[in-house]
Amino acid sequence: MKPEDLLRHPLPAVTPKLTLGCPLLDRLLHGGVPCNAITEIVAESGTGKTQLSLQLLLAAQLPTSRGGLSGASLYLHSEFPFPVRRLHQLSLVCRLELPHNPLDSIFVQPLYSADHLLDVLPRLDFLVPRLNIKLIVIDSVAALFRGEFENTGTELKRRSGIFFKVSSKLRLCARKFGLAVVVTNQVVDVMESSNSLRIGNSVSLCSSGRRVCAALGLSWANCVNTRYSVRIINTRGDSVS
Amino acid sequence: MEVSSLPISASQRGKLISAGYSSLSSLSSVSPSHLARDLKIPENEAVEILKVASRRSGSDKIENGSHVIMNGAQTAWDMLHEEESSICITTSCSDLDEILGGGIRSKEVTEIGGVPGIGKTQIGIQLAVNIQIPADYGGLGGKAIYIDTEGSFMVERALQIAEACAEDMLEYNSLLRKDSQSHQANIEPKAFLDNIFYFRICTYTEQIAVINYLEKFVFEHKDVKIVIIDSISFHFRQDFEDMALRTRLLSGMALKLMKLAKKFNLAVVLLNQVTTKYNEGSFQLTLALGDSWSHASTNRIILYWNGNARYAYIDKSPSMRSASSPYAVTGRGIRNSSSNCKRVKLM
Repeated sequence: MKPEDLLRHPLPAVTPKLTLGCPLLDRLLHGGVPCNAITEIVAESGTGKTQLSLQLLLAAQLPTSRGGLSGASLYLHSEFPFPVRRLHQLSLVCRLELPHNPLDSIFVQPLYSADHLLDVLPRLDFLVPRLNIKLIVIDSVAALFRGEFENTGTELKRRSGIFFKVSSKLRLCARKFGLAVVVTNQVVDVMESSNSLRIGNSVSLCSSGRRVCAALGLSWANCVNTRYSVRIINTRGDSVS
Repeated sequence: MEVSSLPISASQRGKLISAGYSSLSSLSSVSPSHLARDLKIPENEAVEILKVASRRSGSDKIENGSHVIMNGAQTAWDMLHEEESSICITTSCSDLDEILGGGIRSKEVTEIGGVPGIGKTQIGIQLAVNIQIPADYGGLGGKAIYIDTEGSFMVERALQIAEACAEDMLEYNSLLRKDSQSHQANIEPKAFLDNIFYFRICTYTEQIAVINYLEKFVFEHKDVKIVIIDSISFHFRQDFEDMALRTRLLSGMALKLMKLAKKFNLAVVLLNQVTTKYNEGSFQLTLALGDSWSHASTNRIILYWNGNARYAYIDKSPSMRSASSPYAVTGRGIRNSSSNCKRVKLM
């Protein structure tokens, strides 16, 4: 490949978007989750990260006229067990709109460790075009990286090295095949005493009365293109910011 | 000393003598283009001959024929004049422009860093649009190269900023040129996008290759006035085992970018991420890529949060004093931070 080949002129066309299935959220996100980039969904447990992920897996199969990507989707999950019954329930709604069974085009791969993820990523180059995958969901990155590493300098350095490696590979894939990549992340509590680092538009957000921010720290925050936070207010409704 | 003693080809020696250049002193005060014309040879060959001649004649030549040996040297007086006449690239935020002495300067490498979400990419897109403001409106009317290593460049967003910029220009037109309708330029926001050359880089090898290729590309597209790299650091932060190699690659890249800025009179803007640095028992925030990289840029601007407002701080500059100013990221792009255009907060 020559450097000349990298030049895309005129600019790439308007980015395709994947609908979230909710008109309000879609309008807030200007049409949905963008392709060619990594989108992160941050929320505390019980907010509905996995529900949203499952919804996206199904929505990706819709034709582009209905806000989908008319392709298959890949679900990499590190939180067990895989909610197959809920997915089946959701798929009954989509079934009426699709010529095939939506469950046939959802590929599921469990992840057991950070190194396992690094093993899986190189296979994407081969799998994605073959299976016509248009969406990759990793649910969740936090579960992979929060447990395995100790809180020492060298371990954390190794961890951020892996972050950049994973992110670079995902971005390369997203770009090459026009994929939408969605990752979910957990939250950590913000301590009042520590002058915590501010990443993104708000220092912290209030979710069910606690002050929280996204897990995995600064270097991971550099690895995603867009970050959405979902929170619980008064246990009645969720809000995205 | 005679020309015949020079280590050059026989045909060149013959041409020199037949054109009347018999002694080395006669070569000392002639310019390469003049010599090329006299000898009917290509100019680069003439430069070679002059180089050989000046090397042979040693240090005593510096006094009497300095402009040949130190080709491209300028007096500080000339440089001052040049700088005064050069136009800065506005950031669209007048507070920020003020502390920068008018905006982003050509011929310089400016590094802008900050935490994720502070608006680095927004500033990058804004500059790629603002470079195209025509000379009639106090701009440079140039084109932009946007090297995207992270995939954060959104065409929709660039169009939004371009639309706002076109609207502002129309408003300016109607305010200042009420009588002369002839100046009414038809500004099409889509045309702004046509003048941004976009490279998407996926590995650090590609990044180095593109930066090496830039010189040729800019030579072919002389109207490019700004090169934006968003971000310089992403691909160099994966596990590089050989840190010495990383430092070498980075400093080589920095040199190329500085040379490019100088040679083609364009501005280079590098966006950088931040990292934590362990210093005497506490963690501090610094720009990524380490201490040796901090020499790579002429100016360094750090973006940070102060309460709920975004601030820019001049961390390093040879000509401007350290200062900070607030700025805001709005729907229309980078603007002054004031009460009426505060960031919309979704509650």
